[in-house]
Amino acid sequence: MATPIQHASPQSNGVSPRAFAAQHARLPNNFRGCSRITDYDILGKLGEGTFGEVHRAKSKKTGTIVALKKILMHNEKDGFPITALREIKLLKLLSHPNVLKLEEMAVEHHSKSSTDKRKRAIMYMVTPYMDHDLSGLLENPSVKFTEPQIKCYMLQLLEGLRYLHDNKILHRDMKAANLLINNKGILQIADFGLARHYDEPVPVAGHGGGEAHRDYTTLVVTRWYRPPELLLHLRKYTTAIDLWGVGCVFGEMLVGKPILSGDSDPNQLKIIFDLVGTPTEETMPGWKSLPGAEGLSFPTKPSTLWPRFSSYGSGAISLLSDLLKLDWRKRVNAIDALKHPYFHTAPLPARAGDLPTFEDSHELDRRKFRGQKAAPPPAPKGGTVGMGPTGGWGEPNGNGNPGFGPPNGGYGGYRQHNGSRYPQSGYRNGVPPPPPQEERRPAWRRDDGRPSGLPPRPPPVDYHDGRLDRPDGYRSRSREIERPPQRNRVGAPNVDTYIPSYGPDSARRDDRRRRDDRDDRRHHDRGERERDRGLDYDERSRSAITHSRSRSPIRERDRVREREPLERERDRDRDRDRERDIYRR
Amino acid sequence: MSHLSNPLATAEQLYQKTSTNALPIELQDSIRFYTARLTQAAGILLRLPQDITAQANVLLFRYWLVDGLLEHEFSDISAATLYLTAKISASPRSLRSITNVYAYLLSPTPSDPESYYLSESSYISFRNRLLDIEGHVINALGFNTHVALPHPLAVTYLQTLDVFSLPGNKGKDVAKRTIAYLNSALLSPQMLYLTHQPASLATAAIYLAAREIRVKMPEVEWWEVFDCEREELGFLVVGMGSLEGVARRGREVWGEKGWISREDINGELVKLGVNIGNGGQVEDEEAQMARLLDEKVGDA
Repeated sequence: MATPIQHASPQSNGVSPRAFAAQHARLPNNFRGCSRITDYDILGKLGEGTFGEVHRAKSKKTGTIVALKKILMHNEKDGFPITALREIKLLKLLSHPNVLKLEEMAVEHHSKSSTDKRKRAIMYMVTPYMDHDLSGLLENPSVKFTEPQIKCYMLQLLEGLRYLHDNKILHRDMKAANLLINNKGILQIADFGLARHYDEPVPVAGHGGGEAHRDYTTLVVTRWYRPPELLLHLRKYTTAIDLWGVGCVFGEMLVGKPILSGDSDPNQLKIIFDLVGTPTEETMPGWKSLPGAEGLSFPTKPSTLWPRFSSYGSGAISLLSDLLKLDWRKRVNAIDALKHPYFHTAPLPARAGDLPTFEDSHELDRRKFRGQKAAPPPAPKGGTVGMGPTGGWGEPNGNGNPGFGPPNGGYGGYRQHNGSRYPQSGYRNGVPPPPPQEERRPAWRRDDGRPSGLPPRPPPVDYHDGRLDRPDGYRSRSREIERPPQRNRVGAPNVDTYIPSYGPDSARRDDRRRRDDRDDRRHHDRGERERDRGLDYDERSRSAITHSRSRSPIRERDRVREREPLERERDRDRDRDRERDIYRR
Repeated sequence: MSHLSNPLATAEQLYQKTSTNALPIELQDSIRFYTARLTQAAGILLRLPQDITAQANVLLFRYWLVDGLLEHEFSDISAATLYLTAKISASPRSLRSITNVYAYLLSPTPSDPESYYLSESSYISFRNRLLDIEGHVINALGFNTHVALPHPLAVTYLQTLDVFSLPGNKGKDVAKRTIAYLNSALLSPQMLYLTHQPASLATAAIYLAAREIRVKMPEVEWWEVFDCEREELGFLVVGMGSLEGVARRGREVWGEKGWISREDINGELVKLGVNIGNGGQVEDEEAQMARLLDEKVGDA
């Protein structure tokens, strides 16, 4: 009998690895221009709004259904956005069944008659169409994951991640919304907008993420999936940061909603420590000396992982605790996680082809059901994609090109000019808070006439009051015991704050770009001034803004901006102190 | 990942862009050779690592197989590909540096600093041209900006052949000559980097270098180990050795000129009595007036 791993790995879904490679090999034997947008029949919009536009389209040449993701360009002072160029270059070199493939680029030319030469062509990234993303699927009340299904997705996720890490790529934005799933049960990792090459040796079995030798920017990974070492500003981080995200996604699949949804960075740390225990010299050696740990102290609390997840079995908890290890050096790597006994014990992982199919889950559909606009998720702090002030972009160095010398000074400010996704403003996290709980009813209670192909589920227990047990909306343990495999997401405060991502491009980029536009001049000016200070500005203003989140972020932002810089700085310090106070207690 | 291989030109591309071109093949050769040399010189002045300059030249040649040779001014397309290649590398260069270096290289009298002073307005117009061409290039290449180079492979092959354990400095000499052959091949109008994979280029360069330094290679057909067929090796050895002739013929036509422009090509065409419509984009009077006016304003 085949081992469960082979059984469920994507390669064995009727396709041999060799056949897969043959199917997916990139034709190396030509270079020709981009295809035209007219080569595609646009079938409809999949998403819009905060993250630009994604369309579903059918290729006229091959008849395949694809997703087209628009690359927005605004005031590109330095030509085509470098972030996009890198992302495309990176994606074109990747080929794995569990990594979203960039099929090609399509271009939309403006009509020749238009005399405005400034109007540039619009570029689209063409990727295979995926029916769902994991976050959307989990949000769908008619979808319930079984354990074999979760194991199947986890194996695919880990396979994809092992491939990425083996190819020296840090994803840096691991989250449910970036995992796309199709109706064949295949899961693919998408959105390489924050990805970069890393310089260290690739992970080997039994040695976790290894050791980092150089600094990277800490302004990466969406908050809910951000590992503790990043929240404490460790700059020498490793592939282990992606594995923390996998742990969060795993927990999310088990529970049915994000397990660590902090509303600010300090709060995120707090709920992490509530879950896995406060850091000690044993569980997280050296944590005290991390830049962000300054002045923090906690009353010692043990891990609550076991009681909280007891209903999911010891195998799941064991894997979860390996992935959610505070000590990033000991956190399991993708190679070892794939060998975890969880995947070898009954119930065995399902075959991808045997998984049930679901009605499409896309942002627009969900919004329609909900009858209101979804609030965006907390955006990652972002970073300099591929190159921080600390360094350059490692070329895919499989060919061992020499000459990747030290980074050039001053390049860190590059991204401000190209209007890329991370303006210097620290307000990227000024995301409007989710609408108040009272105004919203869970999707399953509103959408009676929903064209669901699946039988309606019995109405789940209303957890609204249960939410009050814990500030973070986590269900209390007693409830879990009463109703163990409660996996669909019910009115938790953060349920709606999700945006799918179909392309390797991400939501936040466009969102932020728009903001950038609004006061473009200002950003550029400041960009110049702040460049020398590098990330510092980002980090400080971030802590300042976390307070205004729950009020009106936009107005707050403008108000802050109008004040004198010195005063602003003082406020920031004060705010930060206030935040820290939570922990001094 | 296809790190070690390159997309190659199709026979159709090579045929259409060279043989059916109204431009005499000699002039095409000159354009490729002189422009690639300009990129190389700019790369040195910009202190770019050689791998980036090399990639820029490969991208330049690829671009020319998709769009025409005379589509843009040669120095502009050279600068644009170099800018683009550096931008996506670990050693980006600012537009300002690039434009300054090209202004210097294109100045008729490099000893006179005034001749390569770039006024603000001419900087802006140069920059805008570069950014415009950049868009054309990435569009024409379909965003395939990855270039695999044979240089690192060649070093690995030399190690495999145990060349570095030879007595004296012979091993190093062979390595140097190998790299030199590979860099020269970048300038070859035969577009060797577009027709052959890095493994074959590396093998051929080693073959030539070893023969030149008189290093004994294995008696057997050692190139087969490096995925290079005898026939391909023979072709590349001839191709790599033929650059000298191209340079000599170039000198006969262009004299001591370090670079050539579209205007030079047009002049040569007139001499040859060939008239092709698309290349002769001599600045019309109105445009010239506008440019002079702009420069006046910029200098004021």
